[in-house]
Amino acid sequence: MKNFYRKVAFGLGPDEKVPSDPLEWANNQLNNVPEFSWKGKILPEKELRGYYREWVYGDRKVLRKKFKNDKDGYKREKNKLRHATGQKFWWNLELCIRYSEALKSRNPVLAKLWYFWGNHFAISEKDFLAQYTTGAYQREIIRANMNQNFEKMAQEATKGWSMIHHLDNEQNIGPKSQSAKWAREKGKKRGVNENHARELLELHTVSPNCGYSQEDVIQMAYIMSGWRPEWGKKRLETGDVHFDPNAHQPGSKIVLGKKYKSGRKGLSNAITDLVNHPSCREFIAMKLCRYLITDNPTKEMMEPIIKAWEKSDGFLPEVHKAAIEVAFNYSDQYNKFQNPENWLLQMSKMADVDLIPSPAFMDLYKIGNKPIRDQRALEYLMDELGQHPYLAKQPNGWSDISEDWMSPELLIRRLVYAREAYYKKSGNSQTKEFYEEMIEKNYDNPGEILKIIGQHRELVHKHVILFNLPETLRS
Amino acid sequence: MKISRRNFLKGSATTLFLAGFNFPVLANTSKKKNLVVIMLRGGMDGLCAVPIIGDKNFEKRRKDLILDKTIKLNSDFALHPKLKNFHNLWQNNLGAIVHATNIPYTKRSHFDGQNLMETGGHIPYSIKTGWLGRGMKLAELKGDGLALALPMPLILRGIPSNDNFYPSKKRLPRTELLQLLKSIYANKSEHDLANMMEIIANRSTMNNGGTSMSRKNSSLALKAGLELKKINGPRVAVFEVDGFDTHAAQGGVNGSHSDSLIEMDSIFKSLEKGLGSEIENTLVLTLTEFGRTIEQNGGRGTEHGYGSAIFMAGGLLKKSQVYTDWPGLKKKELFEGRDLNSTIDARSVYASAMSSVFDIEFKRIQKEVFWGDKLQNLSEKLFKV
Repeated sequence: MKNFYRKVAFGLGPDEKVPSDPLEWANNQLNNVPEFSWKGKILPEKELRGYYREWVYGDRKVLRKKFKNDKDGYKREKNKLRHATGQKFWWNLELCIRYSEALKSRNPVLAKLWYFWGNHFAISEKDFLAQYTTGAYQREIIRANMNQNFEKMAQEATKGWSMIHHLDNEQNIGPKSQSAKWAREKGKKRGVNENHARELLELHTVSPNCGYSQEDVIQMAYIMSGWRPEWGKKRLETGDVHFDPNAHQPGSKIVLGKKYKSGRKGLSNAITDLVNHPSCREFIAMKLCRYLITDNPTKEMMEPIIKAWEKSDGFLPEVHKAAIEVAFNYSDQYNKFQNPENWLLQMSKMADVDLIPSPAFMDLYKIGNKPIRDQRALEYLMDELGQHPYLAKQPNGWSDISEDWMSPELLIRRLVYAREAYYKKSGNSQTKEFYEEMIEKNYDNPGEILKIIGQHRELVHKHVILFNLPETLRS
Repeated sequence: MKISRRNFLKGSATTLFLAGFNFPVLANTSKKKNLVVIMLRGGMDGLCAVPIIGDKNFEKRRKDLILDKTIKLNSDFALHPKLKNFHNLWQNNLGAIVHATNIPYTKRSHFDGQNLMETGGHIPYSIKTGWLGRGMKLAELKGDGLALALPMPLILRGIPSNDNFYPSKKRLPRTELLQLLKSIYANKSEHDLANMMEIIANRSTMNNGGTSMSRKNSSLALKAGLELKKINGPRVAVFEVDGFDTHAAQGGVNGSHSDSLIEMDSIFKSLEKGLGSEIENTLVLTLTEFGRTIEQNGGRGTEHGYGSAIFMAGGLLKKSQVYTDWPGLKKKELFEGRDLNSTIDARSVYASAMSSVFDIEFKRIQKEVFWGDKLQNLSEKLFKV
């Protein structure tokens, strides 16, 4: 049962007592969305998008023209522009904010679920979104809505600038719209781009289990046509998202048998219907169980979560509590292979690893400068571990399937970074007694584990073995 | 170019002859054959890598990007002058090109295109496995894949237990610690983990002392070549080369597109070195999401296009050739008036290659890996069957 603390959070740290009521401990973390525990600077998405705009405009409209015959000059100036727009710094700052929630806040359970939702509404690797805005999107749209109904999160994520740009909805133009007509007069073809519409159905709400057709996808794309960033010569594609009636496909549309009128309200209405479709809650219940409990969730596991959803109208704190309770009930039967990020955070929490640079140190950064190496430590580390949270390869985010995280190189990373982490621990946690207490607190079979790691004399080796035992790799 | 009916009959007669007389062909047919795929990300410019000779349309539209001192391959096509290693292969009948080809994707997004080049599908993100993984599954090649990358690339998904190699910059723990973990995994019935720990433990002894290896593609390729050479080593390897998206300063011989092509060329060289004589039983293919526009842009770069080229190397090639159904570069011959057209579905090349290397009937690959899509069997034209 002690794996419960690792299953739904990151285990118990050295300063934390074993809660007398584990469920109460977890549930108390889920009602509110508190302030961030990170005490350094936190920039709004809009400001970060401004830096992104300077980057794309400066690169595309200025440097490419200026240095057309000079490859090296182009590279040099492009590097300057990177630093002038903070390209190498912001995502490191975002990682500090993100990991503080797991390691330093009073609500690590909320943090683990935050990572789940960030990955559910994933912004995958595209352009330079990761370096500038993905972290902020996950703060302002995902985490900020974790005490709301699922519908609110879905509405805001769908119409958020990051998602609209990530899934090309700016290129989704109704073929019978005014904009398409104007384009035709100039000899250009404009039409529907189904990308975002398909992912809204497949990945974000009802999933293919609901049985929608290709025609539903196209109709959904028509509903979404016109939702795009406000274009400007200097803004390029980084303007605020608005509804452009000129690019909207006229006429009513039908998705999953329901009719939607032409216009701005169509998308909001369609999302309301999608999130209330039974397939949506089944899909999300399945994904929550897969994230927390097992690759192959059973109907019995999903049922209480679906019920909580129905009773609360998709109110996320209630949905989360139901999922946590299921995880608790199955904690002795199932262990879930942890992805690299969750593994790292567990190790850092339980073994008191100094993972995150201090706010004061990060705030030393000045725009225009190249960040110093230690300010970029997290970016390197996550890349090395094979799971930078803002660089998922596809819109379906990082995998929740164990097999995808098992390969020789990925395992090697856990071996070598367990050792690296040991040397980032404070001196008073580098004692035998510290480990004994930590193992006692966090594992159900402390005697067996102590015996296994007792076969090695040096503490650093004990540490490496402990964090690569099946008991740790699976929680 | 077309294979004649007569040739076809001759071919089948030989096969029948061998089969009927119980000829000792085993030594030949049971040879371990390797397939290597190099993914060129960003949109490889087939016309920069393998320019057409003496086409006025081409010269006019790209006047600042025309290469000096190209290497003449035949009367119609030349080779980028920096592709020296590939040219060596070509001269030894170990190099060939398919030109004016691409996956059936025309929308020009890297994001979608790279997904489709790996899945082999038509709708981005609708398929969650790779064509190579599905092909390996059909050939029952579990545990035979090697990715020279840290995350397992999508193209290999569809078959479990692939290996990967992308050396960590840190030293591995000592072997006895690895052996201990391996025995713990085995005791706890964690067989997959135990197998991987075995691979890791072998690696640690090999590296003796653990001097960190370079992650440059040229050194990864040397390592891959040595592994593929082993009779019980992997049979499939996958590489990644980035940086083909040259919107600006694509330049000529020393431009940025050349840098990426040179990296690709270094893989050919190191693979050949690592494989030694086993290059004879190996086929190397490149893969990209699309080609680039014919016309240069204002930044002397090129934009996303459609048709590109496939580089092929190894002893399983039939001969050195530029295989193409050339569509021409006149405005009306271009795709949407701007891009080199694709007249050969690149998946036909990949399906034929898998058929030849994995010894599986083309039709089965077509049906089970590519959903029965209309593909041509090019095995006899391109490869030793």
